[in-house]
Amino acid sequence: MTAEEVLSYFSPDRFINGLRARSKDGVLSEMSRILAEDDDIRDPGLLLEMIRRRESLGSTGLGKGVAIPHGRSTAATQTKVVFAVSRRGIDFDAMDNEVCRIFFLIVAPYEDNKQEYLPLLGKIVEMVNREDVREKMFAVECFDEFQEVVRGALGE
Amino acid sequence: MSDRVQKLAQLQDLELMIREVQDPASKEQEEALGFSVGGLEQLEKAREKLIKQIPGQDLRVYWRIRRRYERAVVPILNRICLGCFQELPTSRTRAFTDSDPLPTCESCGRVLYWL
Repeated sequence: MTAEEVLSYFSPDRFINGLRARSKDGVLSEMSRILAEDDDIRDPGLLLEMIRRRESLGSTGLGKGVAIPHGRSTAATQTKVVFAVSRRGIDFDAMDNEVCRIFFLIVAPYEDNKQEYLPLLGKIVEMVNREDVREKMFAVECFDEFQEVVRGALGE
Repeated sequence: MSDRVQKLAQLQDLELMIREVQDPASKEQEEALGFSVGGLEQLEKAREKLIKQIPGQDLRVYWRIRRRYERAVVPILNRICLGCFQELPTSRTRAFTDSDPLPTCESCGRVLYWL
């Protein structure tokens, strides 16, 4: 999956520079609402229910300041991602018990016919495993800068 | 959206998640990426609780469709059923009351969920 293919799941409308939420559930709600404004995903209640249930299986706070809540839902007709940064950091029950500052919410359709969901998740994990990429992502001010970080991280 | 259809959509999402947790390959892929995946018992309890909130006749429709298709509840987008990709007749609207039967696709029979 190339940088441009990865970026095709993102949008300036789904870029949050400074989450308002102060809690884990608040982050999930705020990001689900943004996602539900998209034409392909319009039911924040159903999305949020699925995302909360996924969190009950184990926190998607990977550690090192990053959380990637994700799942598949009947509410989605296309795979979409929301990117968000929290300036203050949020307790997300991360594996290292540190607060999370960088968030990706990934929602895929119930039937992932194009088999894009897990490869996309894998690419995002690959990027955020690098400390230099995390630092740059935390510092981005706009969607254009975010795109440049992704292109740099994925070698294009 | 109808609360009845939304409950069936919730059940469908929950059953998908249960299957993913039960599937060793899917679980292994998630764990290889660094995510922890457990809590199957909790999901099954949530499923039982949700089932109790769904009217019996709706559950019968849901399970009848599930015997035939993997997905019983499908979104409608631009008047297209995303289960069979047939266009709905223009006479079909999203409006239905709690006393009406569940809205289903005339072509494939799946429950319709208007986005």
